[in-house]
Order: sequence, then C-alpha cells, then structure tokens
Amino acid sequence: MTRRTRYIGWALGLGVAAGLFTASPAAAVPETIGSCVFEKLVELEESGSSLEALEEEGEEAVVAFSDDLEKCVEAPSLIIPEIDEIIWGGSAFLVLFAFMVWKGFPAVQGAMNARAEKIAADLDAADQAKTEAARIKSDHEAELAGAKAEAARLIDEARGQAEQVKADLVARANEEVAEMRARAAADAEAARNQALADLRGDVSEIAIGAAERVIRTNLDHDTQRALVDAYIDEVAGRG
Amino acid sequence: MADDRIGGYADALLSVAAAEGASDLVEDELFRVAEAVRSNDELLATLTDRKLPVDRRQRVVEDLLGPQASPITTALVSMVVGTGRGGDLPAIVDRAVAKSAAGRNRALARVRSAVELSDDQKARLAAAIKASTGTDVEIRVVIDESLLGGLVTEIGDDVIDGSVRRRMAQLKETFS
Repeated sequence: MTRRTRYIGWALGLGVAAGLFTASPAAAVPETIGSCVFEKLVELEESGSSLEALEEEGEEAVVAFSDDLEKCVEAPSLIIPEIDEIIWGGSAFLVLFAFMVWKGFPAVQGAMNARAEKIAADLDAADQAKTEAARIKSDHEAELAGAKAEAARLIDEARGQAEQVKADLVARANEEVAEMRARAAADAEAARNQALADLRGDVSEIAIGAAERVIRTNLDHDTQRALVDAYIDEVAGRG
Repeated sequence: MADDRIGGYADALLSVAAAEGASDLVEDELFRVAEAVRSNDELLATLTDRKLPVDRRQRVVEDLLGPQASPITTALVSMVVGTGRGGDLPAIVDRAVAKSAAGRNRALARVRSAVELSDDQKARLAAAIKASTGTDVEIRVVIDESLLGGLVTEIGDDVIDGSVRRRMAQLKETFS
C-alpha cells in the first residue's frame, strides 16, 4: 500500500467520522413526540408563561401554542432539511471538503498524475516495445534475407565449385588420355628407333667385322708401310 | 718412399745398360717387356705371386724373354722380379725410359704400331712430331696388332690416333 493510498484512506475515514459527529446536532431534533412536547412546555415555562396563562390570554395564544405543539407531530420534510442540519451538514461538508482539498485532492491528484505518468510510461514502453519488436522483426527479416542470400550464394558457389571440379576432372582426364597417347606414341617411336638402332648396329657389326677380315687379309707389308708413311705425313702436317 | 724405390730401380737399370754399352737396345726391350706386362694381367699376376718361389718366377721371365730379348734385358727383368718388385716393373721401366730421354733433352713418345717400324720411319716420325709440336722426342714402339694398321702416338697426355682400328670405329659410329 502506497503512501498516497494511505492518505486517501485516512481522508475517507476522517470524512465519515466528521459526518457522524457533525450530524449529531441534527439528531438533537426530538425523536419522540413526548420529548418534543416536553421541550415545548419547558420553553413555555422558561418564557415565564404557562398553559393556564395561555388560556387566560385567549384562544389565539392557545391555538398558537397548539400549532407549535402540532409541529412535534409533523413529519420532517424529505426534501428540505432542517436549518440546523443544513448548517451542521454544510459545516461538515466544508470541513470534509477542506480536508479533502488539503489532503485528499493532492493525494488523488498525485495518484492520478502517477497513474497518468505510469500509463504514459506504459504507453512509451509499449511504443518502445513495439518499436523494438518492429526493429527485431526488421532485423529478423534482414537476417532471413541475408540467410537466404547467403544460402543462395553458397548454393551458387557450390554449383560453381562442382562445375569447376567437373571441368578439372574432364581436363585432367583429357590430359591423362593425351599423355597416355603421347607416351604410347613415344614408346612406339622409341621401340622403333631402338629396333632400327639395333638393326643398324647389327648390320654395322657385320659390315665392320667383314671389313676387318678383308683388311686383315689385304694389309700386306707395302700397305702397312703406306699407312705409316701417311700417318707420318699427317703428323707433320699438323704444325 | 715407393717413388724413391722406383727411381732407384730405374737408375740401376739405366746404369747396367750403360755399363754394358747397350742403352738403346736394352731400353727398347725393357720398354716392350713393360708394355707386355702392363697389358697382360695373367703375366702380371704370375710375376707378383708371392706364393710362387722366386726362382720359379724368374724362370718364367727367362722362358718368355730368352729367345726374344738380349741377355742383359732378361737379366735385368729377372733381377726386378727376383727382388719381389715385378708389379712395379712397368713403372720402373717408364721412369727409366723417361729419365734416359730427359737426359738427352727429349720427351718420350710411346708409339703403338701394328707392324715393326724401320729406323727411317722412326726418324721421320720423330721429325714430324718435332715439326708439329716443337718437341724433340724419343720414339719407343710397342707392337699392337689389334690396331690392324697405322700408328697411335702418345706424348704425355696428347694422343695422335691414326690407326685403322680407330677408323673402323668411326665407320661403325657412322653406321650406328
């Protein structure tokens, strides 16, 4: 319970108490006809008169006193209160009003202001929450859009990589095929060259062997001398 | 130490040949014997085999050289083999021949020939080498029938190959 609420409670309590106490004079109106009559008689005696005196004064005095007594049996007006009730009630009202103005109104005003401020704050908070929600929503939408874009990019990238891998594999396969063909051609060429070389070597071996045998049988003394002389001339010609 | 020993043996061979007045003949025969040992691994192994008695190795030398070389040459080779230096015989003879040639201000020209050269051919060859290189040389001939014909002359690291064998090899390379 807040201080402002306690103030309001105290104000209401005091108002009720003041109403009860200030209403007591109104309650002083004679409650029974007998007491009312008794009071009328007392007032008569205090005024220095009496019933006998009234009778002696005449019928008009008696009638006036009777009318006065009849007031004791008249019911109070439901609309127009008694003067004293108006006074006491008005006083109580004024006291209560003053007290309410002094204590209650500021409290109520403060409570209203606080309530208004709280409502404004709640509205602001709601606006902020709404704005925050909108921002979060936009962020989420942006993130979603980014995620979609990233997913699309990844898909494109993966597709590109797959294409590249495919192209690489095809290129590598083509290279390997070309290399195998080239190697096979080179091997065939090498084998052919080797066979030709072997054949040429065999032929040359045979030819050289035959030539050597021919030379051995035909190199007589004169030919040897001629070879030596030619060699000597060749050496001499080197200078 | 080994170099000194080879030099000492070379000097001994030259001194004996000079003392006998047959330097040219002995040097020429020693040169041919050294070439034969150098080119024949079996003969080299026999002459250096310490399991064979020395007199047995010397008898091998005498049997091989007796009918073909002078007694002085045979005795000198037998002496080298007898002292257990048969393996060094080529180096000893090379040193002796080179030293003899150097004593006459000449370089050694090792000539391989399919046939024996006459003195005239040796002289003309020495003159040709002199004309070609400007160096006086002393011709030492080794018979090498594998050359088929022609000559191969080695002067130091220089080789002049005019053999039929080389021409046959060139022809073979051309065919190949």
